[in-house]
Amino acid sequence: MSATTIAPTTSAARAEGVSKFYGTGDATVIALKDVHVSLQAGQFTAIMGPSGSGKSTLLHMLAGLDRPTSGEVFLGDTRISSLNDKALTLLRRDQIGFIFQSFNLLPTMTAAENIVLPIRIAGRKPDQAWVQSIVDKLGLADRLSHRPTELSGGQQQRVAAARALASRPQIVFADEPTGALDSASGTELLTFLRKAVKELGQTVVMVTHDPTAASYADRVLFLADGHVVDEMFEPTADAVLDFMKHLGA
Amino acid sequence: MFTATLRGMLAHKVRLVLTIASIALGVAFLAGTLVLTDTMRVAFDQLFGKVSAGTSAVVRTEAAYSQSEGISTSRAPIPAAVLKQVSAVDGVRAAEGSVSGYALLTDNSGKAVLTSGGAPTMGYSLAADPALRGDVKLLSGNAPTGPHQVAIDATSAEEHHIAVGSTIKVLFQGPAQDFTVVGTVGFGKEKNLGGTTGAYFDSSTAQRVLGAPGYFDAINVSANTGVQPTELVQRINAVLPDGAEAVTGATVVKESTDAINKDLKIVGILFLAFAGIALFVGAFIIWNTFTMTITQRSREIALLRAIGATRRQVNQSLIIEALLLGFLASAVGIALGLLVAKGLNLLMDAVGFALPSTTMQVQPRTIVVSLLVGTLVTVVAALVPAYRATKVLPVEALREAVPGSGNPSTKRVIAGVFVTGLGLAGLFTTLYADLSMRLFGPSLLAIIVGVLMLLPAAARPLASLIGVPLRLRGLPGELARQNAMRNPRRTSSTAAALMVGLTLVVSMGVFASSLKASFTDIVGDSTNAELFVTPSSKQAPGFSPEVIKVVEGVSGVDAVSASGYGQARFNGKDTSYSAVDPATASAGLNLRLSSGSVSDLGTNGVVVAKTAATTHGWKIGTVIPSEFAQTGKRNFRVVGIYDSKGWISDDYVISIAAQTAAAGRQLTASGLVTLVDGADKSTVQRAITDALAGHPDAKVLDRKGFEKEASGFIDQLLTFVTVMLLLAVVIALLGIVNTLVLSVYERTRELGLLRAVGMTRAQVRAMVRWESVVISLIGALAGAALGIGLGLGLSQALADEGIKSVSVPAIQVTLYVVLAAVAGVLAAVGPARSAAKVDVLKAVVAD
Repeated sequence: MSATTIAPTTSAARAEGVSKFYGTGDATVIALKDVHVSLQAGQFTAIMGPSGSGKSTLLHMLAGLDRPTSGEVFLGDTRISSLNDKALTLLRRDQIGFIFQSFNLLPTMTAAENIVLPIRIAGRKPDQAWVQSIVDKLGLADRLSHRPTELSGGQQQRVAAARALASRPQIVFADEPTGALDSASGTELLTFLRKAVKELGQTVVMVTHDPTAASYADRVLFLADGHVVDEMFEPTADAVLDFMKHLGA
Repeated sequence: MFTATLRGMLAHKVRLVLTIASIALGVAFLAGTLVLTDTMRVAFDQLFGKVSAGTSAVVRTEAAYSQSEGISTSRAPIPAAVLKQVSAVDGVRAAEGSVSGYALLTDNSGKAVLTSGGAPTMGYSLAADPALRGDVKLLSGNAPTGPHQVAIDATSAEEHHIAVGSTIKVLFQGPAQDFTVVGTVGFGKEKNLGGTTGAYFDSSTAQRVLGAPGYFDAINVSANTGVQPTELVQRINAVLPDGAEAVTGATVVKESTDAINKDLKIVGILFLAFAGIALFVGAFIIWNTFTMTITQRSREIALLRAIGATRRQVNQSLIIEALLLGFLASAVGIALGLLVAKGLNLLMDAVGFALPSTTMQVQPRTIVVSLLVGTLVTVVAALVPAYRATKVLPVEALREAVPGSGNPSTKRVIAGVFVTGLGLAGLFTTLYADLSMRLFGPSLLAIIVGVLMLLPAAARPLASLIGVPLRLRGLPGELARQNAMRNPRRTSSTAAALMVGLTLVVSMGVFASSLKASFTDIVGDSTNAELFVTPSSKQAPGFSPEVIKVVEGVSGVDAVSASGYGQARFNGKDTSYSAVDPATASAGLNLRLSSGSVSDLGTNGVVVAKTAATTHGWKIGTVIPSEFAQTGKRNFRVVGIYDSKGWISDDYVISIAAQTAAAGRQLTASGLVTLVDGADKSTVQRAITDALAGHPDAKVLDRKGFEKEASGFIDQLLTFVTVMLLLAVVIALLGIVNTLVLSVYERTRELGLLRAVGMTRAQVRAMVRWESVVISLIGALAGAALGIGLGLGLSQALADEGIKSVSVPAIQVTLYVVLAAVAGVLAAVGPARSAAKVDVLKAVVAD
């Protein structure tokens, strides 16, 4: 089915008329309403918006972690909103990288084991040279044998970033990746994501509420009350902050 | 605090149900046992009361000494002449002699009517006076009169289609005889007496076939209205000759009930032991659950501490939780106990032991004891975890809770090694230094306790080792192995419950296997027999001595060594003895006399076992005093000392002639057949079978068949014990389910992360399943190893009793271990499903 829909080749992921409701009747909460977005391949996109704007919900839909109430979601040419759990899981495993705000790593495994986790789940051998290059870029070489409890928050997030890129996914989703980090660690992580897009051609989508974090992106989408209200290219921290004030956040 | 406790319990329903089940099953067994034994006791009380309801007094000989055989004391018979004297006493309305003894019914085709479950086959005299019959009622036909009539119990008549009016053969200790069935007999509402078969004769026929003409076993007396039994007893005693006594009917009832209560007590203790094991295993699960929930709730506890709850309050709240849990579980257990009692009752019914029916006896004691024991076990198991909870610091409320790994302390390992070593030392001293066996039990216990203490330290390496093949299963297998290793204490206490159950099951299996192997050796070692004449039913006490004569007459038979046994008092101690025929004993038996000769036995000689001779310093010619219940004191002179306990394992061996003189006619227990040179074994066996056509109480087996029958009996016992112990294994499996449920709950976020980065539901399920298998295998392998050790120790300890070879049933033990692994898979079904259902978003989104 998915092959019948011809999507623009430059689109890594897109949402078509996606709505998401929680609850029923009077208690219905509208998280997203008729959202159309297309995320360009090889770009660093940030999704911003005040609390409750639906930005995390949109990310979960695009990443195949949740299903829309109505509308369609595509990853590349694949219509993922119609996939069953198994197919969706395999898609996440093979084509998507994740960085969450916290609890990104398995406590029983070393950093090295965590990095190749999705590849091992798939039962494949990791591409050692590729993994090594990412580890070097992230400065994790001397931390590989440590367990998560022996790593700082920043180091843990860098391990998570390495894991997200290790399987050469089509797209990396990051949900408030700097939310729990100090600013120096946050900067380090964002710089890496930026490099991943520029130097490795990786597609990255990040949800954040921090204008400075958003300024690392090529494009910022603004959400409010479940709608995409605007977007900005080549953003700066100040411009984003201004726009957010304007939104009343 | 109390409301918080209650809410907490209700919030985790699965945990609540599982922990309740683990204690409730043990309590159910306890309550069921108590209910069953009470019910049996009341039923027998009622039965004995009814059977002798119309009997005011009983006249009998004074017993030489009190020796109980089943429910009645063996006594010498009373001369029939006494009946006249008793009848003449003022106040006696009716008096009749009674006789009872061994009588085996046969059906229309001449086959023996056998009982199962060890119930006897009996013959009785049927009183002419209805009052003296008590609860014994004619259900159809007439009372037997004359030398050719019999009435039989209604169950035998129905099950074997023996119609009133037909002619059947009845076998006795003496010659068999044909009788016409004239009636069927019941007991109140029952059609048989606890599975017994009954043949009823008139008084003089009963004397002839069951006892001796001119003698009664006892005289039953019915009083005139208004005459008190005690008064009547006094009057009768005044006219009785020396050696006879009169007692009230109530006294006889009490003697019978006391005797049966002693037997019931043994049954009760047996079942209670199994209940105890189940509760012990259940306690592990409670311990484990509390330890885990306290780890998981440490934030909640820390919060309570931070807002001002004292350590004492935290401790108390947990103890109250245990108290509530234990009470609830015990209540559930008592309700289940009624079902258990019903089930055990049905089981005994199924094996042919029909209990006299009465209503279920649920006594207040049963409820109190069950509630108390169940609650106490739960609270005691929760004490240490509750104490640990008080160590949670208030600041931990602010930290991200990482469930601790809880490595076992070195102190514990040292103590464990010490206790195990002590147990092993004790075991070896008892086994090889010939010290008192009193150390044996405590040594076994010490080994089990020691291993339980060591298990946490061994859990990680064991999990690592067992998990090696799991690597082939890819990442889920690898993660399963790591999860089983990450908390050795939890893994070990979960596995420990299974270990205890399997230790017992396997040790029983090894013991039974050794028993069988030894039996084969004994048969080969201590007999020269080619063929074996045995009772038709394993539970029958023996067969008529006539059978031996019949077999001796078969062509190809060289000799038949008959042997019997009995109970008497030798050298001041109640003991069993064997009886052999001196003329034929050395043909089939291989007694290995170190001095003297069996042929010197005569009617006052005894051959003694070497061990007893050494202990007491007996030599040829030593006189040993003895006392028989039936005839009183008698001296035996030692004429031989034998070395080879085996086929015969009693300390005293006398001649069959001496036994007949001292204890009356007795059944023969076995006949060892040797053949003339050149005779074909199977031809002779067929010929003997044909010759025994008229003797359905005996059959002939070759050595293989005989060994098979004996091991079949051992297997039956083993099956019974294994089924009882299975309860402990089932509880242990509930514990695994419980641990997995709690672990899955604890690892929600990890599971969510794994699912987010691409682990499929099937892989998640596999991961939980393999973890369960690893835990099961730790318990199963430790249990199998320990069980083999204990089983061998037990066999070795009983080497003197004839268990001379040891054998490990490798296939059986392997099967147990495999089954444990399979059970691990089954235990994981529920937890694996809930692990696979973890909501990815809830797990990965920071709260």
